[in-house]
Amino acid sequence: MLEIIIQGILLSGLYALIAVGFTLIFSVGRVLNLAYGSYIMVAGYIYFYFSQLLGLPPIAGLLLAGILGSCMGLLKYNLIVKPLKGDHIAVEISTLILAVVLQSTVILFFGNSAKILLPIIPGVIHIGNATVTFNVLAATVASWLILIGLYLFIKKTHIGRAMMAVSMDAKGASISGVDIDKINMITWGISGFLGAIAGVFFASYTQLSPTMWVAPLIIAIAIVIVGGIGSIIGTLVVAHIIGFMEIISVALISPQLRGVFTMLLIILVLVIRPKGLFGREEL
Amino acid sequence: MGLGLRWYHFVLWAGFIAIMALMPEFVSKGTLRTIIFANFLAIFAISWDVLSGRTGYISFGHPFLIGIGAYTTAILTKRFDVPVEYAIPTAVIMTMVGGTIMFLPALRIKGSYFALVSLAFMELIYQLVQVIRPDLTGGTRGMSGLVTLTRGAVNGYYLSVTLMIIVALCMWLLMRTRLGTALSAIGMNEESVKGSGLSPTKLKLFAFMTSAFVAGLGGAFYVHYLGSIAPRALFDINFVFTIIVATLIGGASTIVGPMFGAFFLTFLLEYLRPYLPGAERYLIYGIIALLLYMYQPKGLYHIVMTQLDRFKKRADDD
Repeated sequence: MLEIIIQGILLSGLYALIAVGFTLIFSVGRVLNLAYGSYIMVAGYIYFYFSQLLGLPPIAGLLLAGILGSCMGLLKYNLIVKPLKGDHIAVEISTLILAVVLQSTVILFFGNSAKILLPIIPGVIHIGNATVTFNVLAATVASWLILIGLYLFIKKTHIGRAMMAVSMDAKGASISGVDIDKINMITWGISGFLGAIAGVFFASYTQLSPTMWVAPLIIAIAIVIVGGIGSIIGTLVVAHIIGFMEIISVALISPQLRGVFTMLLIILVLVIRPKGLFGREEL
Repeated sequence: MGLGLRWYHFVLWAGFIAIMALMPEFVSKGTLRTIIFANFLAIFAISWDVLSGRTGYISFGHPFLIGIGAYTTAILTKRFDVPVEYAIPTAVIMTMVGGTIMFLPALRIKGSYFALVSLAFMELIYQLVQVIRPDLTGGTRGMSGLVTLTRGAVNGYYLSVTLMIIVALCMWLLMRTRLGTALSAIGMNEESVKGSGLSPTKLKLFAFMTSAFVAGLGGAFYVHYLGSIAPRALFDINFVFTIIVATLIGGASTIVGPMFGAFFLTFLLEYLRPYLPGAERYLIYGIIALLLYMYQPKGLYHIVMTQLDRFKKRADDD
């Protein structure tokens, strides 16, 4: 029981970290970035390259991954999202194509086989009969810090409030003198950074492989859909619902059914309450 | 009939059928096998086009439908020794049931949300297939040694090309009727379809059923061509990607476009094989797809048509 709670909290923290960057883009830019999963994968490989192949300290690898992720976000916004001028379906399709392009780029450089990432922070701690690696613990702590920081950033700073305004009503925000383009750029940058940080932790939690982007993308999608648009609190709560659901189904029912309940939850929520549990009226 | 058929339509279709019929005389067995894959991809792309290209309900989970068709006939023939001539129609009916299930969310949600639900459907069936009754579905490893309908490349070619041309021709004609126009109208503005006294719900249901029919037919024949089935290859986001890209490159909501898109992409992948043997081929493939899509979202069909129009205009001016 204790083990389920601990594992649940740890996994949920990781999931919240994965989803928050995706929520940000979906709320502010109103577009689904299906290449979000590839931030996670590419960042994992960048970290692998810098810290494991070149031998830089882990924190430098983490920061480099974050910065490059942020650049990827900005490039994606300027080269793909902006020229398509808010055509949501077109953005979805082109980001899906981009995700496959990035996947094959990674295969070209690193090969098709999976790689094990050394833990970012080695060591384990025993709580009751549960074994907790410092690595996952660090991911959870980082996730909480980032979420709190992001929440404060959005509620307290000028730019954060402008982001919120754009997410509520882009036209209205534009009339009030908010530079939508700039806000979108900032959002894509932050989202790329968060996705990359999440990616490094996720890669060290599972393993590195060119196809590892699909699972986190689906988790991020699930959390955002169930949580609702424009709600960081919703992201946090739903990350815990989904994280615990997975841990419980693994521990008590069958490890293979891990993702089934998540999928059922997405379908159910979208059909019964399309705006999500915490979202604003939308659609 | 109000289909707006002109003489050149008949000529083009007849020419196309003649070329496809004579193909085995001119090309090698290897090329024929490539064309077989292109034919099946074309069927899947047409199925996607009927639903997503027309009505704008983007399906990221088309393998869900194809998989139902493929698995139904595979299970029936392999585990219950049902003859293929009964198994395939059953598979198609099951796929249409699956299409109806996929249609239910479309009653309430659209756009990005529907696309995501369809993705969730695909992931759901991917995981369920491996867990529920692995004795029937073959679990993670899938099934092999299934009944194959044909032997040899030439026979396989004729079967697949016949199927593809029948599907393409029927869908092409269907989409030229008022029904096809109404489906396009749903993609443009659902409210005004309702305003003109048509029922969007019925039209959408029709689109889902038709798409599922084609997907099930394609899936069932495909599995009996391959003789094996594996969940990882079937419910794969790369497979979705290939179907969608084939449709979009060719030109969505034209039926003919997806068909040529499928051929274009299959051959592109084949020609890249000597230079890039592995999954890296998708890099070139993806970049070409992305550039083409960003340049002209309406696809090659549209590019060819505008060029033809310009050519015609120039001819008229002279």
